[in-house]
Amino acid sequence: MNLLKIAWRNLWRNKRRTAITASSILFAVFFAIIMRAQQLGSYGHMIKNAIESYSGFIQIQHENYQDDPSLENTFDCPEELISNLEKVQGVKAVVPRVETFAMTSTGTLTKGTLVIGIDPEKEQKLSNPENLLVRYRITPDVIARLKEKNQIPKEIIDKLNGLINNSYTSTGTIAMNLEIDKELNKEYLDIIASASQFPGKYLTKDDIGVLVSDRLSKYLIISIGDTLVLMGQGFHGSTAAGLYPVRGIVKFANPELDNKLIYMTLPVAQSFASLGSNVTTIAINLNDNSDEGMIAMQATLKGMILSKELTVKTWKEFNKILMQQIDSDNQTGKAFLALLYFIIFFGIFGTVLMMIHERYHEFGVVVSIGMKKTKLMFIIVFEMFFIGVIGVLSGMLISLPVLYYYHFNPYRLTGDMAQIIEDMGFEAIMPLAWIDTYILWQGFVVILMVILSCIYPLRKVMKLKESEALRA
Amino acid sequence: MNVIELKNVEKVYNDSEIKVHAVRGVDLTFEQGEFTAIVGPSGSGKTTLLNMLGGLDKPTSGEIIIGGTKVSELKGSKLIDFRLHNIGFVFQSYNLIPVLSAKENVEFIMEMQGVPSKQRYLRAKELLESVGLGDRLDSRPNKLSGGQQQRVAVARALASKPKFILADEPTANLDTKSTENLLDIMEKLNHDAGMTFIFSTHDQRVVNKAHRVILLEDGVVTSDERQTPHQ
Ligand SMILES: Nc1ncnc2c1ncn2[C@@H]1O[C@H](COP(=O)(O)OP(=O)(O)OP(=O)(O)O)[C@@H](O)[C@H]1O
Ligand SMILES: [Mg+2]
Repeated sequence: MNLLKIAWRNLWRNKRRTAITASSILFAVFFAIIMRAQQLGSYGHMIKNAIESYSGFIQIQHENYQDDPSLENTFDCPEELISNLEKVQGVKAVVPRVETFAMTSTGTLTKGTLVIGIDPEKEQKLSNPENLLVRYRITPDVIARLKEKNQIPKEIIDKLNGLINNSYTSTGTIAMNLEIDKELNKEYLDIIASASQFPGKYLTKDDIGVLVSDRLSKYLIISIGDTLVLMGQGFHGSTAAGLYPVRGIVKFANPELDNKLIYMTLPVAQSFASLGSNVTTIAINLNDNSDEGMIAMQATLKGMILSKELTVKTWKEFNKILMQQIDSDNQTGKAFLALLYFIIFFGIFGTVLMMIHERYHEFGVVVSIGMKKTKLMFIIVFEMFFIGVIGVLSGMLISLPVLYYYHFNPYRLTGDMAQIIEDMGFEAIMPLAWIDTYILWQGFVVILMVILSCIYPLRKVMKLKESEALRA
Repeated sequence: MNVIELKNVEKVYNDSEIKVHAVRGVDLTFEQGEFTAIVGPSGSGKTTLLNMLGGLDKPTSGEIIIGGTKVSELKGSKLIDFRLHNIGFVFQSYNLIPVLSAKENVEFIMEMQGVPSKQRYLRAKELLESVGLGDRLDSRPNKLSGGQQQRVAVARALASKPKFILADEPTANLDTKSTENLLDIMEKLNHDAGMTFIFSTHDQRVVNKAHRVILLEDGVVTSDERQTPHQ
């Protein structure tokens, strides 16, 4: 019968208190983990949206491009440079781009647009516009036809009426918008899909046409096959102008992009802006997206790039705004966690105080008959530590299924909140971060709180006066 | 042979606003094998005196010497160790560790002394049998009556092979029958094994069993007499 055994049995002595303390720790750890997962998940989401599927984790730019993103700060990008970059181990995608501005017009309507020249094949590995192609569009016509056929229940038609003018890239999103089950209502969904089919193709390698973003296409009232007039300024102040047929409509979750984007092939963009073989950026995605991996890759690429006027930047350097947004949100998040820990600390501390108070006489007895105070302290610490470990482990355990579920089925925001987030340029979902070391950190901090809360009672035992304790 | 010596022991409680002179100039000696009752009205200083004797409290002045060691000068873990090896304690109530069985409570003190486990077990069993609890070895304190608990406490006190056992009102919470029973056991241990007992009490029947009665009044020893135990 050793000290551990005594400590262990003491835990079950006041079962209710042990249970209450352990479960308050459990909930604290659970909430801390979920809160952290939500924070980290939202950063991950932002990074995925803005970085992984658009800008790339690393970009090669002209050294002045960041401060002055004009065509004057473009650089020559021979095929050889691209293929050399592609050969670097750990590089997942190398995507050259030209970005410029142009007035886009249909004759009657005109709008300022962002023109992006892409290599249709290479771009598939990064932003993959082909995925964004609008394949279905709900128009009054479509609904009228469906009504005529009379194959779709009225409530679904009613719901469809609310979706007029919406464009879809997949039937899944239609089902979601209609709030119907994809599998159960497959029959209806197929009918709706075939009725609302929207033509449009992705760009081919030497296409002379363009892809137009969904909202922009609605503003300009254009459809597949229509011709757009683009006008702007080219390299060295030359005039840029051209006529381009519309090949497809692309839909962006980010409404800002959706309002102004036009894709064309890289050669077409280069000739539009008289750029020769110049590009504005080379976007690069990596196999290892961690900070360390990214910085190591930056160093490798810097070593490869001989031209002095080029720089290699990580997304944290070329997208400082996102970086700062994440940083400041992270600070707030940590402050909330600190508050949560603070509350837990007092909860645990209260338990410890109560325990000491109740057992003070007993402590007096055991020290009187000859138990060293250090041994008594060991028992107390072990008891608290044990409650802490039970609470922390179970908190972690119950958080896992929640993390698992909401990581793969992110919570979709609705209403004003969703609007605000979409206005910031992100899809309005709230995925939780995947299981990682941050979970261990929450546990570690709580265990630390438990140990800290033992300091006072331990001092009390150190200073215990036998005659006094016996009277208690 | 003098086991315990108190030389001009004084205790003044200074911590509250009023100074309490709880024990005044006590000179006493106790010998091996004595069976002594300390009596006196409430507040006369019995507990204070016993606590100082047991090294649970320090005299304000004077000396306490046990088996040649100046206990009043020992401190910290040395003092705790001294108690472990030299003094047995029986308190008024709640003596036992509630999460340990009777046997484990008795073994506990021997474990702290470093007695090997096999020996501990045998001795704990033997001691509990000697206090009439051979059939309650595995009972936790809350499953034992007050009298049984006190008997376990006596067994535990004996287990460490102390020079003497101190008991501050060991029967205060017991009914007549349990009181008699406990006293009989203590007396028997005193008689058969020569164990020295010093106990305080309010109970005249307990006093009657003592071989020596020390009367404490207002912190002063006013009488110290040997007697033939009677019923
Ligand atoms: N820690 C303390 N601080 C101040 N005064 C104390 C303290 N302990 C005891 N006293 C006082 O010292 C005196 C002696 O107390 P003590 O407890 O020794 O008496 P007692 O004879 O054991 O009494 P009882 O028979 O009621 O147990 C009393 O006046 C008491 O109030
Ligand atoms: Mg008393």
